[in-house]
Amino acid sequence: MQIEFMHQPGNTAARIALRPGETLTAEAGAMIAMSGHLGVSTSTHKKGKGGLLKAAKRLFAGESFFLNHFSAEREAGEVWLGSALAGDMMQYELDRQTLIVESGAFVACAHQVDIDVGWQGFKNLLSGESLFWLKLSGQGPVILNAFGSIYPIEVDGEYIVDTGHIVAFNETLDFSLTKAGKSWVSSMLGGEGLVCKFRGRGTVWCQSHNPKSFGKSFGSSLKPRRA
Amino acid sequence: MEYKVQVTRLADGHAEAQVQTAFAQLFRLDTDKAAKALSRLPLVIKEKLTAEQAAKYRDRLQAIGLVAEIHPMLVVAPVPSAPPPPPHEVQSATAPGLQLEPIAAPIAKEAVPEVASRPAMRSPGMAFKIEGRPDFAFLTVTIPANETLKVEASAMATMDSHMTMTTKMRGGLGRLLTGESIFVNEFTAQEAPGDIGIAPAAPGDLAHVYLNGDVIYLQNAAFVACAGDVNLETKWQGLVKGFFSGESLFLIRASGQGDLWFNSYGGIIELDLDGDYVVDTGNIVAFTEGLEYRMSKVGGYKSLFFSGEGLVCRFSGKGKVWIQTRAVEAFASWAHQFRPAKGKG
Repeated sequence: MQIEFMHQPGNTAARIALRPGETLTAEAGAMIAMSGHLGVSTSTHKKGKGGLLKAAKRLFAGESFFLNHFSAEREAGEVWLGSALAGDMMQYELDRQTLIVESGAFVACAHQVDIDVGWQGFKNLLSGESLFWLKLSGQGPVILNAFGSIYPIEVDGEYIVDTGHIVAFNETLDFSLTKAGKSWVSSMLGGEGLVCKFRGRGTVWCQSHNPKSFGKSFGSSLKPRRA
Repeated sequence: MEYKVQVTRLADGHAEAQVQTAFAQLFRLDTDKAAKALSRLPLVIKEKLTAEQAAKYRDRLQAIGLVAEIHPMLVVAPVPSAPPPPPHEVQSATAPGLQLEPIAAPIAKEAVPEVASRPAMRSPGMAFKIEGRPDFAFLTVTIPANETLKVEASAMATMDSHMTMTTKMRGGLGRLLTGESIFVNEFTAQEAPGDIGIAPAAPGDLAHVYLNGDVIYLQNAAFVACAGDVNLETKWQGLVKGFFSGESLFLIRASGQGDLWFNSYGGIIELDLDGDYVVDTGNIVAFTEGLEYRMSKVGGYKSLFFSGEGLVCRFSGKGKVWIQTRAVEAFASWAHQFRPAKGKG
């Protein structure tokens, strides 16, 4: 599986060349073009683990997402992937490690990488910010995208990152959700709702822009939607 | 064809020192030498590259904050009677399947010198430049005296004051309702040549081809401008082809002889097709005539509803397709969640 990026950093697209027998698992909707002979199937999870109806229910609860599997069966092929928002992409090579990825940042991974969708490591608090994370583990390449540019932060000790700016981080880091200021009231008013406090050693990849902040900046000037 | 890669300037918003360090690392130079090299822009980095290599060099250079351009290493004769080769001709040397090609076509034409006045005979094309590539490309065309340029409605940003404009509608009134008419403004340079600056609606890249009797289909929003002699027709895809897509693939057929410019939302990727290829309908920019295309779904019916890809366009045959790295519809549906809910104020 060969991965290259085009038009970095603003308009990044990834080109993935698949050898015969290889399968790429990508976020639903990310494909912009592909070889015609590739096999495509859709699942909610790892390939072969069904439960589509359940997943559809969870979709309405805003808690599920779908994965497309592109496989080059007998012939080599290629897939181009893009994202909805402007920004950069990165590749990370998993080598029996675990990476925790913000769900919106996930683009694709090799099929043999394990995706734990139901991971609820962050599900606590009164989070109005619905945090939804994926736990990727195993071996193989992972492609992530960001809104804006991506920068890594090597944490050794303690570090705080706003949840809206997290792309991914190593599982070697301890983390807890907390407030940015001294009190909840000041944190909420200061617009820094929830932050993530990391402890230990590892890397956190951050994005320069917060998609939610961008959405909120123009959302009120859009026409209201029904319900 | 061989290409050379040239650095023209620092990309906006990059600190010089930082770029110098990155440049030094990239080419394993010491910082002094890198600084010296970068002080003499434009600078040819590498010559005699294949298209693929050149694109790689450019991408690497752009990643560290340098604006790089790919130029074909052919002698561009500054004689107006020598038409440039049609840039979209299929290269016979490419292996079956696909090759990553640089979007060299628009840059190649920059070598044509700006000529203040042109002979009355049909010239190989108008002088133009594309600036702000690849993220915010905009186009400046020098229209020769008494010639006409067709421009997408509302795309004109700046122009000389002696230009006259007339508005024409293609596609007819009947199709106005379905959003399948395009309005084209015709700008004529009265008596003397004049410049016109054209800015597409969406931020992205621009591409240029010189039509030489061949035909290119453009996705509705991709049309930017063309020479007066290029024919534009709207092509209604019919219910079967367009209906289910929700985005009704409505195409503009450009034919004849002369310059044609089109734009993308996001970057443009040029693909040489030989065989089957699938492109998401929202990511099609343009394609050459001769390719078969039909709307279809990817995967099974499960995929139709949950894959997020909806219907796609399936191409077959030999030709060129230009795709864009972003899709306006995808952005719009992302933005949907931020719309205020009705009734809640």
